[in-house]
Amino acid sequence: MSWNRDTALDIWCRMLSMRRFEEAAIALHAGGHLTGHYHVYIGQEATGAAVIAALQPGDLLFSTHRNHGHYIARGGDPARGLAELLGRATGVNSGMAGTLHLCDPAIGMPHTSAIVGGAPPAAVGAAFEFARRKSPRIAVAFFGDGALEEGLSIEAINLAALWKLPVLFVCENNGVGAIGAQGGGFPGSIIGTERLTAIPESYAVTTMSYDGTHAEGLYRAALSARTQLLAGKGPVFIEAVTRRWAGSQGLWPELVHGPTDVRQAWQPDTVSEDAASDWVRTGDPLMRLGRDLLAAGWATAGELSALDERLRQTYAQGAEAALGAPWPDPSRATSHVFAEAER
Amino acid sequence: MAPSAQVLGISAGSTAIPDTVTRDEAVSLYACMVLVRAFEEKVRRLHAAGRVPGLPHLCTGQEAVAAGVCAALQKTDWIASTHRGHGHCLAKGADPAQMMAEILGRATGYAGGRGGSMHIFDAENANLGTNGIVGGGVPLAVGAALASTRLHPGRIAACFFGDGAMNQGVVLECFNMAALWQLPVLLVCEHNGYGEYTASDDVTAGRLQDRGEAFGLPTRDIDGMDVMNVWAEARQAAERARAGGGPTLLICRAWRYSGHHASDRQDYKDDEETRQWLARDPLLQQRHLLQRDHGVDARELDDVLAQAEARIEAATRSALTAPEPDPALNSLRVHA
Amino acid sequence: MRQISYRQAVLEALTEEMERDERVVLIGEDVGAAGGVFGQTRGLYERFGAKRVIDTPISESAIVGLTVGAAMAGLRPVVEIMFGDFITLGMDQLVNQAAKIHWMSNGQFRVPLVLRTSVGTGSSTGPQHSQALHAWCAHVPGLKVVFPSAAADAKALLKAAVRDDSPVVFFEDRASYAVKGPVPEGELIAPLGRAAVVRRGRDISLIAVGRCVGIALAAAELLRQENVEAEVLDVRTLSPLDVSGLADSVRRTSRALVLDQGSRRGGLAAEIAQTLSEQVFDWLDAPVERLAAADHPVPFAPALEQAVLPGAREVRSHVLRMLGRKETP
Repeated sequence: MSWNRDTALDIWCRMLSMRRFEEAAIALHAGGHLTGHYHVYIGQEATGAAVIAALQPGDLLFSTHRNHGHYIARGGDPARGLAELLGRATGVNSGMAGTLHLCDPAIGMPHTSAIVGGAPPAAVGAAFEFARRKSPRIAVAFFGDGALEEGLSIEAINLAALWKLPVLFVCENNGVGAIGAQGGGFPGSIIGTERLTAIPESYAVTTMSYDGTHAEGLYRAALSARTQLLAGKGPVFIEAVTRRWAGSQGLWPELVHGPTDVRQAWQPDTVSEDAASDWVRTGDPLMRLGRDLLAAGWATAGELSALDERLRQTYAQGAEAALGAPWPDPSRATSHVFAEAER
Repeated sequence: MAPSAQVLGISAGSTAIPDTVTRDEAVSLYACMVLVRAFEEKVRRLHAAGRVPGLPHLCTGQEAVAAGVCAALQKTDWIASTHRGHGHCLAKGADPAQMMAEILGRATGYAGGRGGSMHIFDAENANLGTNGIVGGGVPLAVGAALASTRLHPGRIAACFFGDGAMNQGVVLECFNMAALWQLPVLLVCEHNGYGEYTASDDVTAGRLQDRGEAFGLPTRDIDGMDVMNVWAEARQAAERARAGGGPTLLICRAWRYSGHHASDRQDYKDDEETRQWLARDPLLQQRHLLQRDHGVDARELDDVLAQAEARIEAATRSALTAPEPDPALNSLRVHA
Repeated sequence: MRQISYRQAVLEALTEEMERDERVVLIGEDVGAAGGVFGQTRGLYERFGAKRVIDTPISESAIVGLTVGAAMAGLRPVVEIMFGDFITLGMDQLVNQAAKIHWMSNGQFRVPLVLRTSVGTGSSTGPQHSQALHAWCAHVPGLKVVFPSAAADAKALLKAAVRDDSPVVFFEDRASYAVKGPVPEGELIAPLGRAAVVRRGRDISLIAVGRCVGIALAAAELLRQENVEAEVLDVRTLSPLDVSGLADSVRRTSRALVLDQGSRRGGLAAEIAQTLSEQVFDWLDAPVERLAAADHPVPFAPALEQAVLPGAREVRSHVLRMLGRKETP
């Protein structure tokens, strides 16, 4: 595994799929189909896609309330994901869990916690098992900058470091607003330190900070982290710094300029001149990788457009299937409260 | 955002001691430690004789931390203590008789026998209590410090906790908030190398000093067996807090002579390690210092000892003859 | 009389108590600059400033713990836990510290704090954001637990809770935030520990907690069409329970059905039902029964979520069965 044309293109496709999933979610919400609050991963796709592309099938990843991107990047079925957002019986969790809890053991994503700080301890537990059995598997915990305010995240880091467990902690720091910290919207994390990475460093954990919009850098980092983890050298903490995208300023996500136009990667003049578009030009990881692919000669505009068109169809079909899917039967609500004995 | 950490440096020696230390101050620190030592020794014997319900946790060996920190505090400054808190309580001015009565579960105890060793509250001396939950006192002290900024500016708080508590999430959350809001609190870690029966190295990743720095907490690494050093550091931290300069993490390296609790056989301790620590006994160190630097003679020091012991004897007699509490009172004061 | 929303009533209570006593401070996540994620503290930050309306990191354990210490040291804090499900993170501080300190210190310290939190199903917030754990709190000696359903009660009881010297856990059903109710102008305060009869009737006492009060009232209207007149009580304070108030009602009606927003097993309804059996057994014509939320995690899908709590029709059917009446469709 290395950074090459195939890898880069694969990651771009994952990222585009993650983007389209979120846009589909926003459209469903605008159409009045989505109930409850939801959190989109727009702007953070490089982190999820690059790290997840570096994983092996046996690795497990644990996510948060902002999980859609991870689900798609890991190979989750868009139609089943959208159906879950709509609470339908065909959803990946049969409509029981919803947007805050997309997970699928079949793709190595066993659990998402909507309680801030819930992913790190779970990942540490999985890693404990891997280390015990000496399996060549790692556990990945994705979480945001806010999770480091929860004591239990830090307890988890301590244990992973102490026992040299194969955990990759990925902190997606989106604390800086798209229009600057003073631009309104929700505040960043409330923490008494200039550098979040000082916290894992104080546990003697290998810690690195990356530009969260740079897929290549993150991919390489994740690959080397994986090697280090499997060598039993203890956990690795990667901070991926992103800027909040323009549509996150309000209470509900909104597509300020409509769905992403991938052609803006090679037609920058079509990007309008406003503060939100600055993010498209300089903060959007999907655009960045698109530009890099073209610059490296690893793809043509036509190829990217064709991939985009195929995905559009996938998502159009997925949304339609989800909207037409049946509601779950209320009698299903009591199943799996307790685990039945295995035969 | 809090200012970036200023690690003021390791102070393993006596570099922080101010020039003017009066004889009385130095003797007073000795007297406090002697009182604590005598009290703990008495509790140990009473427990061995089967007269103490439950399992008291003794702070023998750690007297310098209690004495040094509390000497830097005013009566109205808050403290919050631990499950190993008799020393903190006494150093903050608690009455040995009421404490002994509480430990024995008598009606005249600080909590009327309801709390025992781990729940000794002393409002008159602004003591928010010893605490049965590891790290439990830290949020209480941080909260009291927050209250002080509103109600009584200039009043500060100090909390004690062990090295084990540094792995407790709530304590780290408190570090964050104390630093964030620049609260007037002394965070005193009694680093005695063990959390119950387990060496702290076995349960702690990285260095404890680094954890405070990560949140921007000024951190001091202190010889907790040297009361003059503890006191000097605590005074500096207290002055800074009082002046609005925010919190300090004081990591005091010490050693507990006793087991985790009074029935612990301490199989997990190494003999050589024990010998080395005993050679640095805080009472012995202070005794030498008093003789060497302040011309205090042995007889005066022995008088101090005798007075402490007499006080503890009287307290014990009073406690042993105190009545048992009445169970009919159990349901009182559930609500205020 | 003016009609204001539950949210507005809570806001008025907080504003008035903060104006009345400078020791009252508000602390929690997003309570200040953001005005509360449900808008329930809007404007307080601008009015009282950052030193009295304090935004915290995501640290429920330490947040609850430090309000205990602050209360012991003389403040009267109101701490908000955003979703009631998150009190689990602060349970040690609430149960092992706040609830016990007055008792353990033999009266030396008081912990006059109020912990406000929002609960309930209905917004597809999923299993970790939809619970109503008031029974956990009512079970702990030393905690007072309040769960008003009407706007006027929200105001009156929150003010009383702030003035109470014991720790009070104050539950608010999110579904009632926008619901308006009559709230008199001027000072409005009511004692804790008193239930309220919100509808008089002679045939059965519907004793309801939280959202179930509204459900019981709707059921009572349906039952009137069957010539059954149900008396509806809003329990309001779950601990200490108004045993004599509830017993009085059952002495008049001889039957009782308890309705709780929390889940059934080990829940409040069981506590109330058993208490009534002990107090008024001789007046009862039938055993006290209960309806509560289902004993499984709250599902996300709206179709599943709405089945968690009994609706008015289910209550009506249950009452008719209790009365031995045949149901007309």
